[in-house]
Amino acid sequence: MSLAIETKDLVKSYKSKSGTINVVDKLNLQVEPGEIFGFLGPNGAGKTTTIKILLGVIYQTSGDAYVLGKEAGDIEIHKQISYLPEKPYYYEHMTGFEIMQFYASLFGIHDKDKCKSLLDRVNLGNDMNRPISQYSKGMQQRVGLAQSLLNDPQLLFLDEPTGGLDPIAHIEIRDLILQFRDEGKTVFISSHELSDVERICDRVAIINKGEVVAQGRLEELLVGGRIEITANNCTDATASSLRDDDTLVSMNHGRVIVDIPDSHSPNEVVKTIQGAGGEIVSVIPRRKRLEDLFLEAVTVDNRAKGRTIGTMTGKDDGTEADEVTA
Amino acid sequence: MNVILAIAKTTLGEAIRRRVLLVILLVGVLFVAIAPALEALSPRQELTVLRSLTLGVIQLTSAVIAVVLTVYLIPNEIERRTIYTILSKPVRRWQFMIGKYLGAVGALGLMMALMTGIMLLVFVVMGKSKDVSDLAMLAKVPIAFFIQMSLLAAVSVFFSTFASPIVNFFLSGGVYLVGTMFDSFFNVLTKETQPLIVKIPATIVHVIIPNFQSFNVQNSVINPTQVIQNETMLYVGLSVYAVTYISILMILGIIVFEYREV
Repeated sequence: MSLAIETKDLVKSYKSKSGTINVVDKLNLQVEPGEIFGFLGPNGAGKTTTIKILLGVIYQTSGDAYVLGKEAGDIEIHKQISYLPEKPYYYEHMTGFEIMQFYASLFGIHDKDKCKSLLDRVNLGNDMNRPISQYSKGMQQRVGLAQSLLNDPQLLFLDEPTGGLDPIAHIEIRDLILQFRDEGKTVFISSHELSDVERICDRVAIINKGEVVAQGRLEELLVGGRIEITANNCTDATASSLRDDDTLVSMNHGRVIVDIPDSHSPNEVVKTIQGAGGEIVSVIPRRKRLEDLFLEAVTVDNRAKGRTIGTMTGKDDGTEADEVTA
Repeated sequence: MNVILAIAKTTLGEAIRRRVLLVILLVGVLFVAIAPALEALSPRQELTVLRSLTLGVIQLTSAVIAVVLTVYLIPNEIERRTIYTILSKPVRRWQFMIGKYLGAVGALGLMMALMTGIMLLVFVVMGKSKDVSDLAMLAKVPIAFFIQMSLLAAVSVFFSTFASPIVNFFLSGGVYLVGTMFDSFFNVLTKETQPLIVKIPATIVHVIIPNFQSFNVQNSVINPTQVIQNETMLYVGLSVYAVTYISILMILGIIVFEYREV
């Protein structure tokens, strides 16, 4: 069985005044059929650009991209895939039901019952005759998911599916995505909501500046644990002295939280804090989280390539840039 | 075909709700409605002035609506990202573009029909028409305008595949003005007597820019001494001319849009 998604040395370049910029740089991805795949990276990492190439709305500079075994952009493939963009916009004069009918007609589907049943599935059955302009953000996202199911797709691309939603809407969308996998669909999620990704994804790829810096099954990537040391009455100088490649340090009004890999002994950190007059509050071992992996992978990659840590990243997808910190 | 019609229907539905277009339409309708009150400005030839004024208002309003409606047609879809949801479905870019164009032309047609309807109503209510055939003659002029505006919309849709809305507004407006007002000027420049250095570029520009002037058939209605010999042939000829230009513009636009990264 062919891969659901495969890219080989995929490159997307743009020319700028300062020269050519590779937004996607020799990207190699393999997504297995029937899995939920998390596609992660800081803003400007090239996630949305990659998705656009896979959808065929923009073209790669070099390399190959395959979707369901065919070249990305093949119109036949579009009958078997669907896409939910980040912050989707729908024609506001239309009702939820009319939106569904419109997208259904693009597939040549004229089954009103199907439109209704999909809206029921995302709990919008009672609101389907209201104009989209009266829908909340969560309701619009659910319409987006409903329209993405019209063609019973084998592969769904979801770009920030839970972005900006309240906790209840988060859970609803997460549950729906898990149902898609149960139905045998492949789900490709680009998201910054690492806790969601950790809960539902089988495998992830983390990209930074267009390159994959980590890829694999979550249980393989999240081996090992961390130790979190919390102390009060610390100074900025103490916090700075604790920072190194593997150690995450956050400081707030004299309270410092030091996060180290469990392969390191916490004694040294404890001694340093106490030696500087700090007061240890707790030393708690915990399992490694996706957030830790993400920070490690991006930080190590930035350091290896001599990029500034803690500076604003570029943006390629029209979203606000975030700060990448170590 | 279903895909094109679905996109056209949605575009039409959205266009007729756009506030800026409705405001322009309202201004046009108001001018058409109050036109009889302006006959005092020219008491000797009030009917000539009234016809000229109302048809002029319909034409100008339609031209503004055609350009404003179409300059945002594709850029809006890209900015709001609706284009990604549509093009990720089994929709080809040419289907998308033709659907958008047809939807815009449909909206334009509805708005022009409304203005024409108001104009005819005003003429009937104010007793400014002699009989039904007089009204029918008056009603034919906006048909030529509609063909003209469909061509203008195609010019604007073509520019929208690569130009920003503001640039497009001036480009399309410029093409319309040159194609409407400089026809006799080009006729002079392309005469046999002109030197080649003037004649060749003038001929190229004259051929490239659609002759919008030829759709201005209102003179025969405004001034009864001017008679159109064969009205049917005139309208068929105008339609063939417009459809040819629209087809060329749409093909060029589709080629540009096909390679454009959205």
